[in-house]
Amino acid sequence: MSEPLLVEARGLSKSYPLVFRSRDRARALWQLLSGRGHAQSTTVLRDVDLQVRRGESLGLIGENGAGKSTLLKLLTGVLTPSTGSVAVHGRVGALLELGAGFHPEYSGRDNIALSAALYGLSADEVRGKLPEIVAFADIGSYIDEPVKHYSSGMVVRLGFAIVAALHPDLLITDEVLAVGDESFQKKCVRWMEDYLAGGGTLILVSHSMYHVQKLCRRACWLRHGEVAAAGEVFDVTQAYLAYQERKSAAAAPTREGVAGQEFHLLELFLNDDASGAPLVLDRGAGLRARVRLHARDGRAPVAMFGIVRADGTPVYGVGSDMDGVTLTRESDNVYTAEIEFPELPLLPGSYALRAHALDPEGVRLFDTLERGVSIRGESREFGLVRLRHRWIAREATADARSVRA
Amino acid sequence: MPALQLALHFVRRDIRNRYLGSFSGGAWALLQPLIQLAVYGFVFVYVFKARVPGADAPGYVPFLALGLWPWVAFSEGVARAATAIQDNAALIGKVALPREVLVFAAVAASFLIHGIGFCAIALALSLFGTPLDLLMLPVALGGFVQLFVLALGVAFLLAAIQVFIRDLAPALPQLLMLWMFASPIFYARETLPERYQGWLDLNPFTHYAELFRALLLHSGTVTVSGQLWSLLVAALLFALGYGVFRRLAPHFEDFL
Repeated sequence: MSEPLLVEARGLSKSYPLVFRSRDRARALWQLLSGRGHAQSTTVLRDVDLQVRRGESLGLIGENGAGKSTLLKLLTGVLTPSTGSVAVHGRVGALLELGAGFHPEYSGRDNIALSAALYGLSADEVRGKLPEIVAFADIGSYIDEPVKHYSSGMVVRLGFAIVAALHPDLLITDEVLAVGDESFQKKCVRWMEDYLAGGGTLILVSHSMYHVQKLCRRACWLRHGEVAAAGEVFDVTQAYLAYQERKSAAAAPTREGVAGQEFHLLELFLNDDASGAPLVLDRGAGLRARVRLHARDGRAPVAMFGIVRADGTPVYGVGSDMDGVTLTRESDNVYTAEIEFPELPLLPGSYALRAHALDPEGVRLFDTLERGVSIRGESREFGLVRLRHRWIAREATADARSVRA
Repeated sequence: MPALQLALHFVRRDIRNRYLGSFSGGAWALLQPLIQLAVYGFVFVYVFKARVPGADAPGYVPFLALGLWPWVAFSEGVARAATAIQDNAALIGKVALPREVLVFAAVAASFLIHGIGFCAIALALSLFGTPLDLLMLPVALGGFVQLFVLALGVAFLLAAIQVFIRDLAPALPQLLMLWMFASPIFYARETLPERYQGWLDLNPFTHYAELFRALLLHSGTVTVSGQLWSLLVAALLFALGYGVFRRLAPHFEDFL
């Protein structure tokens, strides 16, 4: 870690003054001019320390209102900290909010010029970069239309294209990527991977643990304006997901309702662990899932296991009836089903394993249990699973040879 | 100088914004004070029979023009700059930019437009036979620069306060109107009763109206001490306005 510090924040706090009436505003004006502090304020960020070195990638995660955006605004200099200090060494490219800094009446081209001027580029430099920006944004003839006619996806495209063309030392992006369509998101993620590979530094705010884990090595979890955890991305995202899980478990109705049903699930073990916390696996490791099912009338139910990506995209699912497996009978009413996936071919990311209880005919679904599974590691491959493959090298054909000659 | 480039960009943008979507475009910049001059000229010359006092006094219209144009530049610049921060709240909340640029751009755009208008009207008047000393025009533009500094000072002060006290913007046109009539724009200092004439020196704009007339029309005089005094006032007001602005600028976002 000998790389130079790019961002250094110490004891960063931000509070907003509570002003409701115009009299409060006048009083605040007087207090600021006379140099006395605010009487009343709400604190949105408390005592945050942050260090980012050149070439690092940091993911900021946390619930809505945790202070993520405020922290980014402090880092970019849009906001002034109430206490503490921020130092950023280098050119910062920031995508804070949808269409930030765009003038709705101006055309895309004019807004490119404005944004570039805000980043300190001269008119000549802007002219040089214009074709590159227009090509990356890829919004066709809309580039000459006023920005107010753009869809939100187009605004993001334009914003990202400008930032990408600037080659900033530090790229800061808020949850804006979520607006773009799939192909543009992919393009952005690919661009960011190249950018990181080329020594760029990234601070990313996202609610998509998938993106955070894909792009960031480190993560920082903000909770109620304070740092709840910071460190290696998998540790922090796991801790955050576990916290979310506990929260939703506390909020969710208890499973007592299902107990009266014909079939229900008692327990789900992943690799012999029933804690309920998301399971972290190395890439290619094996996964064993065991579930205990309760049958009211003692008939053997059908058990089904499935794996979905964190966003719900199904990866694979299989039922005991499909494979002709009968469940192990523990007692009169309790059955056990266990499945093993040796060398799980999932690519790194967040997934969930779901277990279902079905009637003996395998027709009606009675109960579902779910638990998070994270695959640790890095990969530049796309998709959900690694398919077995090999590359085929052929002798060059006679035609190609003659052309070369 | 990226800050300067940014400032120039915003000046261009400000000028474009004013005339975006209007038919006559930039011509409106010249037309507006011209119409104003024609209306005032008609009312004062033909209705009120106004005259500039003195034996070899110039005509009323050139007299009015030389006082009115700088006032339009000054008052319009101040009025637009006063809401510059509030109008650009969306930009300030999302992009890190030196806030001074926004105020600077509003004032500079006004001075640019009406500075050109001032030169044009001076040339036009002399073409129509008014004996204007056009050699003094560059010196007069120096006076414009000094007036610009004064306007910047007032603009910074008002723009910063407007963020906190929103009553300022609606009250400002009335205040500026009052200020206009308290300045020797429509009348000469000599027209006032003797005991009130001295009071005009309390008004920082008085000096500029008299300066341009003295330089171009050779009507009235401006003393060296008066010039130095006005320079000091402009510098002090600029320092005060800029100081207050810098002090309050970090907190704008909290109150916008």
